[in-house]
Amino acid sequence: MPSLKDLKTQINSVGSTKKITSAMKMVAASKLRRSQEKAEAARPYSSRLEEMLLSLASSSVSGEGVIKLLTGTGKDEKYLVIPVTADRGLCGGFNSSINRATTKFVNSLESKGKNVSLITVGKKSRDFFNRIMKDKIIESYVDVTESGYDGAFQISNKIQSLYFDDKFDKCILIYNKFVSAITQEVTRQQLIPLDIKENNEKEKKDTDDKNSAAIYTYEPDESSILKDLLPKNISIQIFKMLLESSAGEQGARMAAMDNATRNAGEMIDTLTLKYNRTRQAFITKELIEIISGAEAI
Amino acid sequence: MESTISFDLVAPEQLIFNDKVGMIIVPGKEGDLGVLPGHSKLLSSLRPGRVLVYGESKNLLKSFFVSGGFVEINPEKCIVLAEEVEEMNSLEKATIEQKMLELENETSDESKQQYLIVKSKIEALNSSHYEKI
Repeated sequence: MPSLKDLKTQINSVGSTKKITSAMKMVAASKLRRSQEKAEAARPYSSRLEEMLLSLASSSVSGEGVIKLLTGTGKDEKYLVIPVTADRGLCGGFNSSINRATTKFVNSLESKGKNVSLITVGKKSRDFFNRIMKDKIIESYVDVTESGYDGAFQISNKIQSLYFDDKFDKCILIYNKFVSAITQEVTRQQLIPLDIKENNEKEKKDTDDKNSAAIYTYEPDESSILKDLLPKNISIQIFKMLLESSAGEQGARMAAMDNATRNAGEMIDTLTLKYNRTRQAFITKELIEIISGAEAI
Repeated sequence: MESTISFDLVAPEQLIFNDKVGMIIVPGKEGDLGVLPGHSKLLSSLRPGRVLVYGESKNLLKSFFVSGGFVEINPEKCIVLAEEVEEMNSLEKATIEQKMLELENETSDESKQQYLIVKSKIEALNSSHYEKI
């Protein structure tokens, strides 16, 4: 049976853990609000860019160079997979679900005989994949969410230079999509070649309704605008996804810390009960000793 | 016809300007474009330069520097998507010139591009075209 002192220290330590987790929950909640605002602020740009791209992409420009970002290399051999995790832990299954999904995906690609390489974003995926498939990692990025658009821009430049060096045919991002403050969804998104059809069908209706007779004048001309637009679209897609992921991270942390706080509370309750019982047992025992001692005289 | 056109200036990180204005001048790739209400549909890429925003009586409201991007124009709306946006008033000539000197001797592609942007920043500061119409 643990002594009273043991129980007391245990209660105290759980109590201080509870304080920490509840503080972390507050911090995560306020950070969540900020990341959500950021994601909100970035939306106009990305949606406009997408609209522009849609109106251009349907005009079926073909050719070499940058256009390949849209049309693909025509091969299906080499894959570049980009798992996006957070830099910090203590956010429930947020990071591990990405790592698990990526591992599964990579394995399934390899079993089909594809060549896979990785670019990791975030400390947690870097550490994880350094352990299990170090040879596949081309580059690791950490602390990108703090650097805003520049961070996304760097990653996008790297991806594009790899693409034009013919290092991969398809680029796929795996990240946590922000659904609500408590739910994130592991999402796989194809970045290169641009997966336009999927979006197209969804948005085609809107554009059809709005401007069916939309004939734009292009300056300088369609293909050169498209050439400018495609690389930018990649950066902005990455940027958007980084923001979503960081909002998701805060949400996940908030939920995890909320759980931890509640668990700590429960633990304190049971421990206190145990403490009181033990104390009472000691008192009873002492009383019996005194009484039986008095009777003996 | 309407006497105003709605104008959006959007940077990746935020919406910078959104209001109804009388006229906008944007630095198109092949020359400056003046956009009035009822402009025909047009899509253009931009070179680094000034975006000038005018009120209904053609008074200059605001001027921005953009490092490139795109503009989409239709009769009711003009949208500028720019990567880097700075208000002209917030630019300081001395620091930009300093940066220009730093970049002048660099040889990498990226810094060359940076150099061009910085150079056009200076040009934008020096020019006073279109300030009064």
